Amino acid sequence: MPALFFPRRYPPLLRVAVLVLLTVFVSVFSEKHPRIKSASLTVAYPVQWISMQGTSFWQQADNYLQSRAALESENARLRAELVRARPELLEADILRNENRQLLALLDSIPQPPGKVAVAQVIAQNFSPGSQLLIVNMGARAGIFVGQPVLAAGGVAGQVVSVSPMSSQVALLSDLDSSIPVQPADSDTPLLVDGKGDINNLAVPFQPRNTSLKVGDRLVTSGLGGRYPPGLNVGAISAIIRNGDQSFAQIVVRPAVRLGQLSTVLMLWDSPSPRPAATP
Amino acid sequence: MIAIALILGFFFALTAEIIPCGPLYALLHPDFVALLLLYWAISSSSELSFTIVWLIGLLQDMVLGGVLGTQAIAGVVMIYLLYTGIARVRSLASWEQLFFIFLLLLTHRLLVWLWQAWAGTVTWHFSLLLGPVIGALLWPLFTLTLDYLRHALRLKHI
Repeated sequence: MPALFFPRRYPPLLRVAVLVLLTVFVSVFSEKHPRIKSASLTVAYPVQWISMQGTSFWQQADNYLQSRAALESENARLRAELVRARPELLEADILRNENRQLLALLDSIPQPPGKVAVAQVIAQNFSPGSQLLIVNMGARAGIFVGQPVLAAGGVAGQVVSVSPMSSQVALLSDLDSSIPVQPADSDTPLLVDGKGDINNLAVPFQPRNTSLKVGDRLVTSGLGGRYPPGLNVGAISAIIRNGDQSFAQIVVRPAVRLGQLSTVLMLWDSPSPRPAATP
Repeated sequence: MIAIALILGFFFALTAEIIPCGPLYALLHPDFVALLLLYWAISSSSELSFTIVWLIGLLQDMVLGGVLGTQAIAGVVMIYLLYTGIARVRSLASWEQLFFIFLLLLTHRLLVWLWQAWAGTVTWHFSLLLGPVIGALLWPLFTLTLDYLRHALRLKHI
């Protein structure tokens, strides 16, 4: 095949060295300029779109070929779930009304619920280094960098880069991810960091005599203003106290099954999510 | 004709890498683009252009969404290392090539890891070794399938 740019008369090692230097330049430059990231997402979109078509075609074929018996049993299961969920829904309704009244008493204006949109996952990249999803909504749909992304169960992550038609979501388990939380029953501010492991997150820098217990539910605290308060993040699944470490190692199981997302919810939150404190 | 086949081949390889099939697949799947590059380099009688290998890697980076240049540099270095012993590798049967393929895929994976580590925070995990192992084990099947396809479509390599 013909040589591109480089005549063959240069020794291979020289050609490789020049390409390595070029790569260093490209890497550094693209990390400094978010515009380039967004442009590269745009270039990648056709490939991702076609891959998504293939996947959804496969899923449809799979659904179509499911046996009647499997469908019937699933139907029965879903009905049972609905019956179980109905009283809870009613209860939630009552609580919501009560909450509105209480907020009115506190003289704080209840926040209108944020707008949400359903986006489809078109690509995933799970490696210990990065836990990223690409979804099929971008700047044209109003997606912005830092936008919270939810899924069934709670918080999934946040948008890290946007192109016109698609955007990149860093999951909670991404190594660069960190989310402000608090236990569901107290106000202690905590962080939950990603460790590059899809099933385990961590709460850093907690003393060995921490009051946290296994099973504690962690919800977003709303600090930092990026995530609205009260969203489910996960539950503490283990607290490890090693003899030679000054901090307890706290393992958190994410509320969302991060590895199996096919659709996510993009959330547009109202600007000041934290309700006023008691007067 | 061969150009179309190659473009389609790399397109399928890229698709296979990003297809959302759950965490187990993400952990176990080999680097299909690297496998295809190796196959192309070994079965083609003339030398691949490093620039083209680099550009394919760059496209892969864009699709995967990591640091730009990661796959590009790993691909170029892998193909360069392959060319240092190409005559020897070509003379082996595909199941005998398996060990070399493993080493090359491992180098590729380590380079990707190093580049990510250089660009940010990355932890080492032994699951990183699974991809190259599975890729190398798939190699004989991979070459057989592609050889068959090439023969059936009467494609000559560039």
